[in-house]
Amino acid sequence: MSSSDSTAAGLDARRTTRSLGAGFFASELAVLFRRRRTWAMLLALAAVPILIAVAVRLSSSGSSGRGPAFIDSITQNGLFVGIAGLTIAIPLFLPLTVGVVAGDSIAGEANTATLRYLLVSPVGRIRLLVVKYLAAAVFCLAATLTLSIAGILIGIALFPVGPATLLSGDTVSIGDSLVRSLLIALYATVSLLGLSAIGLFISTLTDAPVGAMAATVVLSIVAQVLDSLSQTEWLHPWLFSHYWLDFADLLRQPIEWSSFGQNALLQLGYVVVFGALAYGRFSSKDILS
Amino acid sequence: MPRTWHRWIPAAAAPVVVGAVVLGGVFATSASADPAEKTPQQVLELAASSTVDTFSGTIEQSSNLGLPDVSGLSGSTGSSGSDSSDSSDLSSALELLTASRTLRVYIDGPTQSRVQILDDMAERDAIRNGDDLWLYDSSDSTAVHSTLPADASTAPDASAESVTPAELATRFLDAVDPSTDVTIGDPVTVAGRSAYDLILSPDSSTTLVSSVEIAVDADTGLPLSVDVFAQGSSDAAFHVAFTSLSLDTPSADLFDFTPPAGTDVTEKALPNRDDAPADGSATPDAGTHPEPTVTGTGWDTIVELPAGTDPSSLTDSPMLSQLTTSVDGGHVLQTTLLTVLITDDGRVLAGAVPVESLQAAAGK
Repeated sequence: MSSSDSTAAGLDARRTTRSLGAGFFASELAVLFRRRRTWAMLLALAAVPILIAVAVRLSSSGSSGRGPAFIDSITQNGLFVGIAGLTIAIPLFLPLTVGVVAGDSIAGEANTATLRYLLVSPVGRIRLLVVKYLAAAVFCLAATLTLSIAGILIGIALFPVGPATLLSGDTVSIGDSLVRSLLIALYATVSLLGLSAIGLFISTLTDAPVGAMAATVVLSIVAQVLDSLSQTEWLHPWLFSHYWLDFADLLRQPIEWSSFGQNALLQLGYVVVFGALAYGRFSSKDILS
Repeated sequence: MPRTWHRWIPAAAAPVVVGAVVLGGVFATSASADPAEKTPQQVLELAASSTVDTFSGTIEQSSNLGLPDVSGLSGSTGSSGSDSSDSSDLSSALELLTASRTLRVYIDGPTQSRVQILDDMAERDAIRNGDDLWLYDSSDSTAVHSTLPADASTAPDASAESVTPAELATRFLDAVDPSTDVTIGDPVTVAGRSAYDLILSPDSSTTLVSSVEIAVDADTGLPLSVDVFAQGSSDAAFHVAFTSLSLDTPSADLFDFTPPAGTDVTEKALPNRDDAPADGSATPDAGTHPEPTVTGTGWDTIVELPAGTDPSSLTDSPMLSQLTTSVDGGHVLQTTLLTVLITDDGRVLAGAVPVESLQAAAGK
């Protein structure tokens, strides 16, 4: 090997290192969104508002008198289908898919024995954790946007579209209500960031991805059960699911931003605590597979 | 693993940091500049001279009256059928006594106001714009519209200001008499504003009220919070406070209400003011009921509604029978602040006094 060759190789390696952050993130996203499982989950989420809209359309004999008032109001305005879909999906379907992605993040690599090779190439463990977390966060955004957009499209197809009525009784333009739908999707995304961090931490604990996924989903359900018990009221503001359904504050006139801020702060706290736990576990772990 | 123990330092530190930020935020809000010293009398005058009638803010209200949570119960009776309108009236009254809620108020002068009760996935609005009065409930898409009589520009507005701490505080402050000790506590911070803490203590041994604390804004004299404490409890039995407050003029669009399409609108005529009792506190159909009798003074006041309604309709209600206990001479609803006695002959006595005082008053 000549000296010039080795210099070139060194330069090449350094360039790889410098662009590794963005490049590694991009390749991680590509891996995530090239998986058939990811697309299946997004399709299942898109099916939620479509099923609601079709069911309401077929049985549009009048008010059901049960469930959130949204479900009734979508017959008057198709733009609400996306919001109704999110309302239905937030307690179970969204945590389920996020649990799968976040729980699989580290344990999946360990299970397929690719974690070793990832770390042999010049990828620090911290960087791997950060990239895995960011990919999970991107999936959260993709999931909520898929739900909202599928809901809006099926709503436009099946129901009349016009100025939307807010919870306050005020009527806003179509553009304003689309902006609010996007804000609600963003709110739901932020809501899921804490659960993603918990899933990432659990994923560093085990080599069995299914166990990590199940534990994450179970935790999200336990948190919601605790949130509904009056005996644990002191705990409620600390549960990561506490503000999940408070996105309705974005449907008031004027918008009540306080729940958005409280939710973001709470999720940030979970990201910090469980991110640090995941770092502690992952950086001190013996990678055998 | 002795070599890698330090990797866990962030994991140990993160909860500490998060906790410090949370607690630090709590301490930071209490560390604002103290207002100038004032005597209780000066603070009373400051509150009385307050001229703030244009503001917007968020209000939190909670009650801890020792009543069982009846929200589940009211839901089950509400859906049971024919008598649902009765029990929904009752449960909305009980909601005020047992639940906590968040409200937003927008007030521009005496004739424009909007109050929003922020429910889960729903909202109830009361809007007054000049002579128009709207009540809107998003949970069942209904609206009620009333037109105030032309001469009602100064009429007491039952819907709007009555929910603010200012209105409640005014009632307590108006009632300050020689039977009340007025003192000043340490300055407090409410909704980010520094305020005087006015403490009213009844000089009476028979009332259930231990003290009333009112935070009076140091700048404007606007009461920012009211806490009512019951005897033998350190937690407020009733609490209402601004969590945010802006003295800017709210947007005029907020008062311009048009019921949305698909809303069930009811027109409701207000009672003629000549028929209404002068004190303005009576409900619209109060004219058909006999006047209540008031005995006692100050904090020991007992209000007695004479027989008129069928007592069985009250005591047979499943919700009330859950809440009341049977005592000598009737049924009693005992809360930490208020006692209500429904006698066997249908009279209703209420007051912030122990049940023995009510029984004594009923026996007279």
